[in-house]
Amino acid sequence: MCTGRVDPALVADAFVNGADGVLVIGCYFGDCHYITGNFMAKHKLDMATEMLAYAGLNPTRLQFRNLSSAEGARFAQHNTEFVEQIKEIGPLGTGDKIGMPKLKEQLGIAYKALAGPKLRWVVGKKPVFTEAGKGNKYGEIFTEHEINRTLSGIVIDEMATHSILAALEKKPAAVKDLAKDLEIPAPEALKYVLALKRRGFVEMDGVEGTSPIYKSTGIEG
Amino acid sequence: MGMNKRKAVYVPFAQTVPLKYTIDRKACLYFQAIDKGKKGKCKACEKFCENDAINFDQTATTVDLNVGSIILAPGFQAFDPSKWDTYQYTNFKNVVTSMDFERILAATGPTEGHLVRPSDKEQPKSIAWFQCVGSRDINRCDNAYCSSVCCMYAVKEAMIAMEHAHDPLEASIFFMDMRTYGKDFEKYYNRAKDDMGMRFIRCRVHSVIENEDKSLKVCYVDEQGNIQNEDYDMVVLSVGLESSASAIELGNKMGIELDKYNFAKTSDLTPVATSKPGIYVAGCFQGPKDIPYSVMEASAAAAAAARDLASARGQLQKIKEFPPERDVSGEETRMGVFVCNCGINIGAVVDVHEVAEYAKTLPNVTYVQENLFSCSQDAQDQLAEMIREHNLNRVVVAACSPRTHEPLFQETMSNAGINKHLFEMANIRDQDSWVHSADHDAATQKAKDLVAMGVAKANLRVALQPIEVPCTKSSMVLGGGPAGMTAALNIADQGFKVYLVEKKDVLGGHGRKLRKAFSGEPVKPYLDDLIKRVNDHENIEVHLGAEPKMVSGFVGNFHTDLTTGASFDHGTVIVAVGADSTKVKEYLYGENPNVMKWWDLDKKIEEDPDSIKQAKCAVAIHCVGSREPDRPYCSKICCAHAIESAIDLKELNPDLDVYMLYRDIRTYGRLEELYQKARSMGILFVRYDPDNKPKVEEVGGKLQVTVTDHVLGRPIVMSPDFITLYTAIAPKGTEELANMLKVTLNQEKFFLEAHMKLRPVEFSTDGMFVCGIAHYPKPLDECIAQAQAAASRAVTVLSKDKVVIEPIVAGFVDKEACRGCGLCVALCPYGAIDIEETPEGRKAKLISASCKGCGICAATCYRHAISINAFNDTQIEAQMHAFLNK
Repeated sequence: MCTGRVDPALVADAFVNGADGVLVIGCYFGDCHYITGNFMAKHKLDMATEMLAYAGLNPTRLQFRNLSSAEGARFAQHNTEFVEQIKEIGPLGTGDKIGMPKLKEQLGIAYKALAGPKLRWVVGKKPVFTEAGKGNKYGEIFTEHEINRTLSGIVIDEMATHSILAALEKKPAAVKDLAKDLEIPAPEALKYVLALKRRGFVEMDGVEGTSPIYKSTGIEG
Repeated sequence: MGMNKRKAVYVPFAQTVPLKYTIDRKACLYFQAIDKGKKGKCKACEKFCENDAINFDQTATTVDLNVGSIILAPGFQAFDPSKWDTYQYTNFKNVVTSMDFERILAATGPTEGHLVRPSDKEQPKSIAWFQCVGSRDINRCDNAYCSSVCCMYAVKEAMIAMEHAHDPLEASIFFMDMRTYGKDFEKYYNRAKDDMGMRFIRCRVHSVIENEDKSLKVCYVDEQGNIQNEDYDMVVLSVGLESSASAIELGNKMGIELDKYNFAKTSDLTPVATSKPGIYVAGCFQGPKDIPYSVMEASAAAAAAARDLASARGQLQKIKEFPPERDVSGEETRMGVFVCNCGINIGAVVDVHEVAEYAKTLPNVTYVQENLFSCSQDAQDQLAEMIREHNLNRVVVAACSPRTHEPLFQETMSNAGINKHLFEMANIRDQDSWVHSADHDAATQKAKDLVAMGVAKANLRVALQPIEVPCTKSSMVLGGGPAGMTAALNIADQGFKVYLVEKKDVLGGHGRKLRKAFSGEPVKPYLDDLIKRVNDHENIEVHLGAEPKMVSGFVGNFHTDLTTGASFDHGTVIVAVGADSTKVKEYLYGENPNVMKWWDLDKKIEEDPDSIKQAKCAVAIHCVGSREPDRPYCSKICCAHAIESAIDLKELNPDLDVYMLYRDIRTYGRLEELYQKARSMGILFVRYDPDNKPKVEEVGGKLQVTVTDHVLGRPIVMSPDFITLYTAIAPKGTEELANMLKVTLNQEKFFLEAHMKLRPVEFSTDGMFVCGIAHYPKPLDECIAQAQAAASRAVTVLSKDKVVIEPIVAGFVDKEACRGCGLCVALCPYGAIDIEETPEGRKAKLISASCKGCGICAATCYRHAISINAFNDTQIEAQMHAFLNK
């Protein structure tokens, strides 16, 4: 097994289950036992860090470091350093953008986004999109910056989408209430709800006053 | 060892196979009487043994065997220092030998691993090690050779003692030359010196006096010539290695020649062959050596014997039969947990009993047992028995590293009729007790966590079947030097095809630069013969001026494209690409033509002996680029080579002043004879300090060297006709090759073997092997032996018709979830996934034999359609949850 096996969803799962920090240590770049696995790990963990930070986690809690299997002393050093850093921040919910129990809820939503198809697809395609001679279907090569910008957009979209879904799973609601509760601008919230409706995850549940009420269809994303 | 009393019924030593008791005939009352011709009495043991396992009638029996070849590996005996009055081993209780000290540190030893001094069972506060007791000594014994291993084992013992001790322990090592010449040894020495604060004192101690409190006064003369007296609680004599009387008898019985030290006589060019054809030797009976080299030599001896016996291969083979596997898929989970003490390795730090009690509370655990050594034969038998008795269908062993011991336990699972993948290990030694020895409570807690995680994973384990693929019966050997050619010839002689690939346009490698082996045997005729045999061999295809461009496939099924356009299939790979000299920027090299590298001197001796006859002074500087901060290793062969060349200089011109500027002289083993000879010829050895290196200048067009002499403590000035630099040996371009082969390198970019002691010539990638200087600098005889060893290991693969691949790989595509998007195909580094057309559309298809189990596909798939056998999402999550939700 390689750090390339570290599924971003597994990392989120660790935080949801109460881990205060996650340290992933892989081979040095260019020195990977599995050739390219550590690059894949870096892409995925960068994306996971962005997602989880957006969800409210202090990004120091998730780190990717490099080592060779011959460096026992440095392995210990990395661990000690990391543990010191985490101790300084304190347990999950202290030193993060938001506190408990809200943070746990947000991390649960991030978990769903990281296990979901959209982010996985794009981050999986990242090396293909950026590699000379490959690129997208039309042979267009993207810069790392362009891909990351796209990913950042998806992170925001996915967090909002999965927050709305989670809220509607709890109880049906109108767009303006969702917008208020989830602190998303109302026009944005409407856009997300309509997109979810189009994909069959959400349906109308009647009208309250002039506002349509939406509910979850219970289909797993 | 005689350090403790034992009964007349005893186990000879802790790791005996089988682990059974025996009777000491001399101490047994019954046999004492019988041997005096009287009627024997007692037999108490027979009465008390419930299993009737005592048999007084057992006698030695003679077994006749017809064999085609013999390998001698009787080992060594430690030098007995009893006769040395200066160190008073027999009189002073707190003077022990290194072997005694090993027993004191051992879990199964007389003190159960507690570091105490023999006189009062108190923990010593200071210990001194005396090096070279019974080695490098022709005054008090006849062992002129260096025992090769004592420097390292003394540092190791001191390091373990310092780690073991509850209070700070002062450790001093009294030595002559620190000979940490092996792979990664120098770093160990540096760590002892710089990080652990071990003291290294250069001198032979002249006497030891016992104080009233039984501590010892060590009297020595320091390097400045001052008399010093220091008190130590204990003294450990680092005793040398020698052939035992029984080994000598064995050698004589076999009719093989022994050398003057009673080691089996071998040639540097055939390092494992004795003087009698068909009889080979391995280990310390060949000469003193450490474990990695002994293990490697054992494979070399096997290769030499296998070459003789190639035509008879497989005739006496017995195939191990396992009972049919029980199908446990429908059974309720019944887990057995076995927690190991590993002697005191785990038990002294982790509360094993508490861990075992905790394991009983974990889900589906039906049986828990504590073991002293889980890996011992009787513990294995018991494990199989418990599986049967308790009808277990999952097993967790909490012990050491699966890297070394998983196969052993898995075999026991198979013996008990259970699929070996229903087994899980929790590493509570390497990852716990060894690294957290200072905090017993935390270590116990961590052990519990690790066991809980192991149990969580084992609960979700399923039976897996191995994947079998055919094997291509040929090997690629990279590198046409002595190592590569030796390996190629051995494999070819055993009847397998070899593709020998050499970068240069000629065979021979660095062997071409060598005039003679350290034994004095000339290299050129040997090399010419080797090249001729390689070129003439019907099984060897030589590719000169070629390098691999692409190597694909896996064990038994590699395919290589060469830069020359040639391509071929092969079953194994041997890496023997050698290493290179390093660039030198010091000592006026490149500026003054009389500052040379070592082979330039060799050439000069060969081609221009007159210039040497006219010269007045020659200087050699050792360790140029070796043992430096950016290259923290010893290049191993330079000391002996420098001395060998110096002797040649002196023989050509006895009036020549020859100075060797060195840091430690590392003429290990029999090479010590060279050092002795050099000194007797009047070659002068001046030790320099790395902080105060020799200064080389040009004064009035002549070379001038200034160095601070270690005896005088003052700078001395020499005006040599020429200076020879003994430059470091370093790998070159290994990174590219390592990436292509998917094998690993160490920090200095030498190829890294799978395990220093257990698998010294194998890579962790199956079917790939390493030998020669690509592994680490070593002299010709060691290169040849290592090449034979690599060939031996390669033939273990080639001699079988099928390769069995472990099924820990991507094992499963959920065809319903898969959308055939091809993302996994694009990202797989091994080309182990394909897209196939099915009636349900395009789906991913696994090529299991190419898969290395990295798991990138599983972590990427947006449909979660691919899973890795034995490392799937549910299993990993369960392990994490077991730790986080406790």
